[in-house]
Amino acid sequence: MKGVEEADYAVRLAEKLGAEYAEAYVESSYGNSYALEQGVLNSSAYYEKLGLRLRILRGARLYVFSTNVLEKSNLRKAVENFRGFRGTDTRLSQEKPEKASYKVEDKVSVDTHDFLKDLVDMDKSIASKKYVKFRSLYGGGGRSKTYFTNSEGARIMADLPMVSSFMSIIVSNGTATRQRVLQFGATGGYEMMKVSDMEAQALEDSANMMKVLDKGVTLTPEQLKEIRNVVMAPEIAGIAVHESVGHPHEADRVFGREAAQAGTSYLTSKNLGLEVGSEAITLVDDPTVRNSYGFYLYDDEGVKAEPKVLVDHGKQAGLLLNREYAHVMKTRSNGSARSDSYSNEPIIRMSNTYLKPGTATFDEIISEARDGVYIKNFMEWNIDDTRSFERYQGNEAYLIKNGRIDKPVKNFVIESGTIDFWHAAKLMGNDLKRFVGNCGKGEPMQGVPVTMGGPTTLLSFRR
Amino acid sequence: MDAETIVKLGIKAGFDEVVADTYLSRRSYLKIANSKVDSIVTKFENSGSLFVSSKKRIFFTNIDRLEKKEVDAAIARSKKVIQMVQPKEDYFGLAEGPFKYKKASAPDKKIESISNEGIADIAYAAINGASGGGATNVAGTVFVRYSENELATSKSVHANGAGSEVRLSIRTFRGSNFSAQDVNTSQKLSGLNPEKLGNETAMIASRANRTGRIESGIYDLVYAQSPGGSLVYMTNAMACIGNVETGSSWFTGKLNKPVASPDINIYDDGNMDGAIAASPYDDEGYPTQKTALIKNGKLLSYLHNYSTAKKYKTKSTGNAGLVEPGANTMLFEHKKKVKDIDALIERLEKGIVITNTWYTRFSNYLTGDFSTVPRDIALYVENGEVKFAIKQRDVGSMVGIRITDNMVRMLKNTECAARDTKQASNWDTEGDYFFMPSILVRGATVSVA
Repeated sequence: MKGVEEADYAVRLAEKLGAEYAEAYVESSYGNSYALEQGVLNSSAYYEKLGLRLRILRGARLYVFSTNVLEKSNLRKAVENFRGFRGTDTRLSQEKPEKASYKVEDKVSVDTHDFLKDLVDMDKSIASKKYVKFRSLYGGGGRSKTYFTNSEGARIMADLPMVSSFMSIIVSNGTATRQRVLQFGATGGYEMMKVSDMEAQALEDSANMMKVLDKGVTLTPEQLKEIRNVVMAPEIAGIAVHESVGHPHEADRVFGREAAQAGTSYLTSKNLGLEVGSEAITLVDDPTVRNSYGFYLYDDEGVKAEPKVLVDHGKQAGLLLNREYAHVMKTRSNGSARSDSYSNEPIIRMSNTYLKPGTATFDEIISEARDGVYIKNFMEWNIDDTRSFERYQGNEAYLIKNGRIDKPVKNFVIESGTIDFWHAAKLMGNDLKRFVGNCGKGEPMQGVPVTMGGPTTLLSFRR
Repeated sequence: MDAETIVKLGIKAGFDEVVADTYLSRRSYLKIANSKVDSIVTKFENSGSLFVSSKKRIFFTNIDRLEKKEVDAAIARSKKVIQMVQPKEDYFGLAEGPFKYKKASAPDKKIESISNEGIADIAYAAINGASGGGATNVAGTVFVRYSENELATSKSVHANGAGSEVRLSIRTFRGSNFSAQDVNTSQKLSGLNPEKLGNETAMIASRANRTGRIESGIYDLVYAQSPGGSLVYMTNAMACIGNVETGSSWFTGKLNKPVASPDINIYDDGNMDGAIAASPYDDEGYPTQKTALIKNGKLLSYLHNYSTAKKYKTKSTGNAGLVEPGANTMLFEHKKKVKDIDALIERLEKGIVITNTWYTRFSNYLTGDFSTVPRDIALYVENGEVKFAIKQRDVGSMVGIRITDNMVRMLKNTECAARDTKQASNWDTEGDYFFMPSILVRGATVSVA
């Protein structure tokens, strides 16, 4: 792989010039993408990149340099410039220097498969529905080879193909519109993109949005006040898990490093162990889920990845850690440092975050809810800086009456405090599903691939 | 290899049209956390991009290194792939040059040569200013950029540019209940006063000494420049013809119709003096310009590149994007002006001052329905007097507010603006710049969880 020699050189040089610690990360990647708008190929693009990131500690100060100019003279100049600020004392946790190489196979190659044809076929199928007014489809694939080495002796090589697709669909009944965004993705080849499933979901969701438009009822403020039971489908459970449990468990938010960017957390060094929710909820972040969009086996600091229990039966149990905050907490890193590219610093990120399933069937949950609202998917959501106050607006939602799904409901909104939200979790389904997303954090903004999921979950609110 | 040579090689390879862009940039991001400098990230990049067309087929690729071998590989790759893609029937080609450009302001040499120590000095000046204003904790980013680029096309365009930027984002905390964030940005180091920004931001967080709760309902809102601008900037993004065509814009079908108060004008300006994103030319070398998007409340224009303009039988607005037009700097004007933000606050009978927002999300881009979350101090005002800061930070109970609104409704109900226009941006809309005053918006829905 190109860049390995330069990476080894830069680490040796940094040590020689007085660094307490040095690491280098090389990325060699490529990918293609297509965008169809209203059936017309709007763009076709390809990228290829090779770059190196060097990160060192000198005088307990953290410096990062990234470049696509790998000449040794450029690297030397960068190392020599690693000096010059008064600031935080940064230390890293002690970790085992890992030596590993891993690869995910693409059975249907990201290099040769004609995914554009799949997109065109899907688009034709979606366009055949007259109520679909606008459609945008995007898709592509690529491969990223990386090499990590550090002054402690770690050497890790990874070879990961990735595929992804994104659709935006707007349906109209002539007087009103609804919009749905769908995203798919995996670590692997195009065999992971179940095109017929993607198409079926687009068609089903479009038809259901029309049902909401044509037959959806709008609840009055009085009716809304009476709603106690909300059944959230896996898509809602997933976004809620990601936003209101996963993010606040990132240690760099808890300790203030992200305070001016992606925000803070309701967790602080003083309330760790907080009862976040009911005993029914256990929440895990697991990068090792094979072929998942958030998959990796070693993080971008060379630490072996592992599943992490963040909330255990309602109690805050662990944080997402990199080496810096593992040192702060006098423990070992749990392998949560990720960067979206060689050009950005690794920061603490989620991977595949999900609420553990229970044993109830969908029908049992609806029956248990008896009266309330079932939210199947969402369009709009947001959350405050500390992650303690959130909103999810149902795109497709239904009344539950006498334990059965009833009429569609327009624009039903869950707006709740996080702690109340998760304390309302009463009954968990057996139908865990994960949904794909790109999570943004940091400055410059870094988007990393993640999944977020959960089972169908009954929330019983005390109002 | 330079851009002109790449274009020649592309034409020799048989493409109908070629655009080559080369750039060199050095960017540094210094992070402030817990009132100290936390780390510095420096990026150095020298690379380019290539756009080609052949019989209405278009293809775009990067050139990771400007060496002949890599350029040849990019051209060979383009030749291979372009045969396989479908024609884009509504592609009408590149703008025909040569063009005359307005002279751009020169980049700041001090930014080009700034050291880590120099960047850290900016951070500590801001921290000191904030501490002097009563901040108990300070976070932020100092960003500096120096860049050069060269653009050449097969339609007789050859242009060079260079730019510099320094941006300071500061978030100050006073105890656990009060915080404020603001951003200053300048093309020149001398245009930034970090100590003053730190101090002023801390003073914003000190505008109330107690917290309180409000009920859900309808409130009049005063938006400071950064949150107001980050919302109104969407006007320019939504005026891009690509969003209009795909129904991802509330301006679809609204040309020449009222979309804002008759007192409002909104412009897209690609080459405004002092604007961070200013450039005399767009991505195909067409001269940038000031375009009136909304004049007297009516939507007058969409944003185009040469090809989309030809499709709609109009002129390019200098907003290429080779594949799709993109927005430039937004400039907001309101005919009804008051002295400053305090004069706006005086007009509130029952209202809220919004100093920062984030997580603006749309439930429907075609209608413009959105919600957004105030992130820092939000001041509750009665009869022109600040009563308290709305409580937003409290684990374990339901606190905080959220604004639910519609973009057209918001702009139609923007009553007046302060004479405090400044160039702003915020973390939620990183890379987007706008010239925006503080504004007063009547009748927004505010919910309290």
